[in-house]
Amino acid sequence: MTTAHLSEFVVEATEIQTRFGDNQVHSGINLRVPRGKIVGVIGGSGSGKTVLLREIVGLLRPTSGHITVLGVDMWSSSPAEVSGVKERFGVLFQNGALFSAISVGENVAVPLVENSDLPSALVTRLVELRLSMSGLEPKVALMMPSELSGGMRKRAALARALALEPELLFLDEPTSGLDPINARAFDHLVRTLCDNLGLTIVMVTHDLDTLLGITDEIIAIGDGRVLAQGPVAQVAAVDHPWIREYFDSRLSSNRR
Amino acid sequence: MTSMVEIDRQISAFVNSHRELSKGRIWVDGLQVTALDTAGALLALTLVREAEPTFSGFRDSQAAILELTRSRYDPSNGLTQLVPSRDSFLEMLGRKGERALAHSHGLLSFAGQCVVGTLIIVRNILAGRWKRVRFKEFVVQLDQVFVTAIPIVALVSALIGVVVSYLFATQSMRYGGQIFLVDAIGIAMCRELSPIVVAIIVAGRSGSAFTAQLGTMKINEEIDAISTLGLSPLQVLVLPRMIALMLTIPLLVFIGNVAGIAGGVLIGATYVDITPATFLDRLQRVLLQKHIYIGFFKAPVFAMAIATIGCYMGLTTQNNARSVGLSTTSTVVQSIVSVIILNAIFAVIFVQMKL
Repeated sequence: MTTAHLSEFVVEATEIQTRFGDNQVHSGINLRVPRGKIVGVIGGSGSGKTVLLREIVGLLRPTSGHITVLGVDMWSSSPAEVSGVKERFGVLFQNGALFSAISVGENVAVPLVENSDLPSALVTRLVELRLSMSGLEPKVALMMPSELSGGMRKRAALARALALEPELLFLDEPTSGLDPINARAFDHLVRTLCDNLGLTIVMVTHDLDTLLGITDEIIAIGDGRVLAQGPVAQVAAVDHPWIREYFDSRLSSNRR
Repeated sequence: MTSMVEIDRQISAFVNSHRELSKGRIWVDGLQVTALDTAGALLALTLVREAEPTFSGFRDSQAAILELTRSRYDPSNGLTQLVPSRDSFLEMLGRKGERALAHSHGLLSFAGQCVVGTLIIVRNILAGRWKRVRFKEFVVQLDQVFVTAIPIVALVSALIGVVVSYLFATQSMRYGGQIFLVDAIGIAMCRELSPIVVAIIVAGRSGSAFTAQLGTMKINEEIDAISTLGLSPLQVLVLPRMIALMLTIPLLVFIGNVAGIAGGVLIGATYVDITPATFLDRLQRVLLQKHIYIGFFKAPVFAMAIATIGCYMGLTTQNNARSVGLSTTSTVVQSIVSVIILNAIFAVIFVQMKL
């Protein structure tokens, strides 16, 4: 490993601006994600959380600004460098994005088969482990994605994102659609992997239990910029109308 | 770095050569393990599993990964494949047959529902309940299935007219019978070619569009939303499409007739010295009205088949992205085949009726 890989921040975004026609989504986002941490991204509907995530993983080009992931600039490096970085992170999309033409097991196996030369028996065992790590029974592997419920689809997608245990994971609403028991099991899994394998996790989430329970830092996005970044308590104390309302409503409903 | 495959092989070799070791006698020492992820832990756990080894010397973080893997992975339920096993030939035959039967049954009962739905529209109109008549949707469909189809129908029919006329003219010239080009192209276009060509174009552009639109709406739960709002998907989505198609397809056939005959006039004038005036003069005498009416009569039947198949396939699409594509392809194939079968049946009937 070169020293570039071990830099302190795995994701750095500077002065990100995004405009769709007349709609200014981001007007100067600056953020840094420290290595080995779980970072939660919060923000109101339409504040551009998912857009930001898509820009970071290289699916959508920001109008201006720079994004560096694992030391590589996602929008000005050579295609080979960018695809090299893409092999090193995993993404969980909001609706799972499982490939509908192949079975759940094959879905989970895709990253393993495409990026390694493991024998198929080993791949099968790893798929089984990944599925059970995300809380699914092994027999689910033989089902087609269309046969799964929403929560199961989410967990299968998580298993695929975890397949290679990438050093950086992007999760878009990982616990939405999961029941509280599975959501907490997910929290535990993510925390264990992060603590013991040194994974860095960036997740867009509104699950307050997840936010309070396992995140090291929170990035609050609003008005097209980063309103606050830091530990939960620090962000909750920031004097901004949206942040105040967000934590007030959630914390009071939690206490009931 | 030793690859995982290599580690797997080495551990297997070790385990195989120490089969005689009794339970509880194996220690796995992790002092020199520099990095361990759950995949590595999986190998360590499964390969020496029968010997119930004791793990020692691992760092806390590695022990945690081992523990996580041990708690989540149950080697006894052994998944052996990732792809569901295939049906045998007989099973496949049975399933396909069953599905084909269910599909024909569904299609027929859907056609029946459409007829009843049309009668309901007639009743609503007669009773003056104009709000229930989905006029706006109907007009949108008129534009999509008719107006935008005119250029392509005209172009394709004209080219077919040119090609058929050219072939006929070359053959008939040998006997000096060029003038019969007029009879041939007039009757062929109006009675057979134009309705068939129009039906195939409509199946390709409107039938497939119906399936794709309704299938996407189904996946997006829009059709469920329509039902729960107390509206009928049949009235809102299906019948406007079907009626628009059935009412306008004779017009498309007429456009096809004109374009095809124009192609014939062109070949007549440039290739066999039949002036346009002579062509049209003879056309008036030889092209009997019954040929034109037969074409106009067949077309709406084709349209009904296409719209029924297109909408039914869309509404019965399964809930995934791949299924919309498969249904759309299937719609086009089914529509074209059924149009050609219907046309053959009509041909037999009209011959029997001496028309």
